Amino acid sequence: MKHWKTLLASVIVASIGGVSIATAQDAETAAPPLTDFPRNETLIINNPEQPATNPPMFNMWVAGNGAAWSNGLHQLALDTLWFIDPDAGIDGALYNQLASEPWQYNEDFTEMTVHLREGILWSDGEEFTADDVVYTVETQIANPGMVWSAPFTEHVESVEAVDDYTVRFQLKQPNSRFHALFSVRWNGAWIMPEHVFSQVEDVMAYDFNPPVSLGPYTLNSFDPNGAWYIWEKREDWDKTAMAQWGEPAPKYVIYRSIPSTDNRLIEMVNGNLDMIHDLTPEGMFSLVEQCDTCRGWFPGFPYAHPDPTLPMVIFNTQNEMFQDKRVRWALALMLDARQISMASYRGAATLSAIAIPPTGTHPQDYHAPMQDWLIDYELDLGNGNTIKPYDPTIGVQIADMVRPQFGDDVPTDEEAIRTAFGYGWWKQDLEAATALLEAVGFTKQGNQWMQPNGEPFAFTLSTFTEGVINRMGTMIAQQWSQAGVQVTAEADPQIYPQTLPLGNFEAATAWSIETWGGDPDLSFFLDSWHSDYVVEPGERQPARNWQRWEHPELDRIIEEVRQTEFTDPHNLELGQEFVKLMVDEMPVIPVMAFNVFSAYDTRYWTGFPTAEEDPYANIVTNWANSKYILTQLEPAQ
Amino acid sequence: MRGYLRFALKRLLQLLAVVFAGISAAFFISHLSPISPVESIIGRVSGQSSYSPQAIQSLRDTLTELFGLSVPLHEQYFNFLGRFVRGDLGPSLIAFPTPAMQLVMLALPWTVGLMVVQIVIAWLVGNILGGLAGYYQNSRFLKAFGIVAIGIQPIPYYIVAFLMVIVFGFLWPVLPISGGFAMNVRPSFTPEFILSVLGHSILPASSLVIVGLGTWFLGMRALVSNIVTEDYVTYAELAGVRQQRIVFGYVIRNAMVPQLTALAMTLGAIFSGTIITEQVFAYPGLGSLLVRAVNGGDSAVVLAVSCIAIIAVATAIFLIDMIHPLLDPRVRAE
Repeated sequence: MKHWKTLLASVIVASIGGVSIATAQDAETAAPPLTDFPRNETLIINNPEQPATNPPMFNMWVAGNGAAWSNGLHQLALDTLWFIDPDAGIDGALYNQLASEPWQYNEDFTEMTVHLREGILWSDGEEFTADDVVYTVETQIANPGMVWSAPFTEHVESVEAVDDYTVRFQLKQPNSRFHALFSVRWNGAWIMPEHVFSQVEDVMAYDFNPPVSLGPYTLNSFDPNGAWYIWEKREDWDKTAMAQWGEPAPKYVIYRSIPSTDNRLIEMVNGNLDMIHDLTPEGMFSLVEQCDTCRGWFPGFPYAHPDPTLPMVIFNTQNEMFQDKRVRWALALMLDARQISMASYRGAATLSAIAIPPTGTHPQDYHAPMQDWLIDYELDLGNGNTIKPYDPTIGVQIADMVRPQFGDDVPTDEEAIRTAFGYGWWKQDLEAATALLEAVGFTKQGNQWMQPNGEPFAFTLSTFTEGVINRMGTMIAQQWSQAGVQVTAEADPQIYPQTLPLGNFEAATAWSIETWGGDPDLSFFLDSWHSDYVVEPGERQPARNWQRWEHPELDRIIEEVRQTEFTDPHNLELGQEFVKLMVDEMPVIPVMAFNVFSAYDTRYWTGFPTAEEDPYANIVTNWANSKYILTQLEPAQ
Repeated sequence: MRGYLRFALKRLLQLLAVVFAGISAAFFISHLSPISPVESIIGRVSGQSSYSPQAIQSLRDTLTELFGLSVPLHEQYFNFLGRFVRGDLGPSLIAFPTPAMQLVMLALPWTVGLMVVQIVIAWLVGNILGGLAGYYQNSRFLKAFGIVAIGIQPIPYYIVAFLMVIVFGFLWPVLPISGGFAMNVRPSFTPEFILSVLGHSILPASSLVIVGLGTWFLGMRALVSNIVTEDYVTYAELAGVRQQRIVFGYVIRNAMVPQLTALAMTLGAIFSGTIITEQVFAYPGLGSLLVRAVNGGDSAVVLAVSCIAIIAVATAIFLIDMIHPLLDPRVRAE
């Protein structure tokens, strides 16, 4: 018994020791007491990332060092030359941020000149000048492990500071979109503080802690385990580029990482979160029921913000099964978009039949003007018949389907329905699909389609492990299986890091089209679709042409875009030509916008952007562009 | 005493062999992962702008060289063994060049603190109540507790944890549901911080205790139910030995031996973390780190966690082996 007591005592001591060790965290991380974060001065934002892997690391210019990006660092502390908003913008979608005016190219796009704002200060009082821009580019070229090293190395012949406020780039080859590297759409090439990094022995190992800020906030404190970061407004915020759009209202901004969407919802209902990055559709419906002051991008159904990203079916066109466009079209005509919308988003999807996300200014530039062309579009079935596959009423049909459940929250105005649910989509037409497959030489045995080589028409559809894209993939696989194509949906946790780039898939639900959103220019994704970038099977495909699709007409469009200035209206014509080519060829089946169920609570702050009245910024909190919201907020109490 | 020392030496050599075999297996298994850290980083970085195939190859070459992955596997293995002896498990590949052990040591105290406390509470309460329930088989309270334990046992842990979040975070919001401590306290040895840590650990720890208690309770009750029928218990009762002594000195002590071994195994499993707990309660710990490391192909962090777990489990078993003769006279006699 004596030994037993000793053992018991030891275990208790060990337990207490365990608790003690747990408290022995980094004592250097100081946080002021709660009274220093009064709610009417503090905006609390949900950071959708997992808690940071390397919490004290802020040197996000280095690839793979575990620095978090969406913890407020790239929203509040870093800055660069231009921002292009995915929505309307406060004063237009293009923000001249650190640059005082838009980019200037020479005639053949081999030289870009940038004029910088004067009087902008880093948070340590040092002035931001052309030397910082030059240092950023030259340092990254000199260190191949840095994030923007490769594109700078590929495009920049030389960069010089003409004077303190003028930078001139000499480019290795003509490039009318070189400025895109310094234009933020979610993220961009952030400017490094030359006076800080030039004093560091090894820029690759430097933690940049605390970060010297070029934005209106500096780091106040952070969780040593990476779950929260607190930022405090600089006293000299008016010496930052953001001051042009007003004073950011919150004195403190807290970014909280909360992995569970249920907990995010509860924290907002309890008043502990002002902005949520993303919920499930069901979570959003529940939130607006539980919380009178909470809402999404739309005031009612479908609530979610459509990101300028286009979830789709991606065919690996290097796979023999998908090399004939009639097969791809047949698979498109087997789908019922209404069921896909209900299964993935509970009806809250914004559909797009064309290869452009139905968000930002795109509906005005592409979807609306191309309706007549889509309605009149004729598809040759290969048996002497043609069909008009487009149904412009699908959005209205879905609105009617969800109205019994959501009542007055569902818009009735046709224009509002188009904005929320999309314009239209392809009619499900199994007869036409049959004709197309038979024209290629497919045969049907019972309910199973057989390929011309006698093998069953069967493949795997890789999809996300969870969420709306997983649900979309599962529903699409079911519909194809019902139509006689054996399709298995496979949840793949490595779909973006490895599966799509390495081509280890047959078909996938993901996206290969992301646009600026607030501008008709498509170069953000389209440039990488050039056949020069398409690699052999087995090699890594550069982002974003995951379908590895090549077409001479596509190359012509891309090459013409490259020779056309960003603001030239001809870009829109080229964009519409691209859309028509995509409809003809169907290398991917566009489905819908990536609707993000972002939510905000007006209990403590008002002035957030809205879809219906003032869509001046993207409310999705991990976008660096979301920082402009802070200048429009006012305390509610 | 000499026999005990020979026994201890033999077990020590076994311990060293197990650790060597374990870490070697861990090294090769972690390097067999189809997930490449280099490709994962290229995926994240190249998504920021248009990378040509040549630019991707240049970045791939740089990262491969930087991460020390350009040498053959057997050379990496011997490099690893050399570093392991010096206590260096190399840089993390998802937080390069931060040492893998630094990341592990940041998460480890939270997991150890939470798990040791909950396992010990569940083990003590479960075994004592289970022992009493096995001996006092007519007690209404202990019968009722047994029914509750059997009822809770099959409920998936996620449901229990989620229910606690709903009840104490939403319906009756009195306890924090996220994080390891409040955002407004300074991490230091102050009453304010310790209370904050304890407050934030109530829900995750309770959810684990609720689920873990039943296993120990039911196991111990079954063991004791058999032991009470043994002749020596009947003889002790007939001889008028005090009931408290019979329960704790004869019955529970005998039944405790397998439970103690199971405790050692459970404590060792701490190092695989509590992934669901950490996700549901946004609680810091090893589980989430391990998941991120596996998904990012970070063999260094996976290896660091594996090595600690192997050493901890092997050491725990070694210590139990050393203690067994002290607890069980039959082992001592052997």
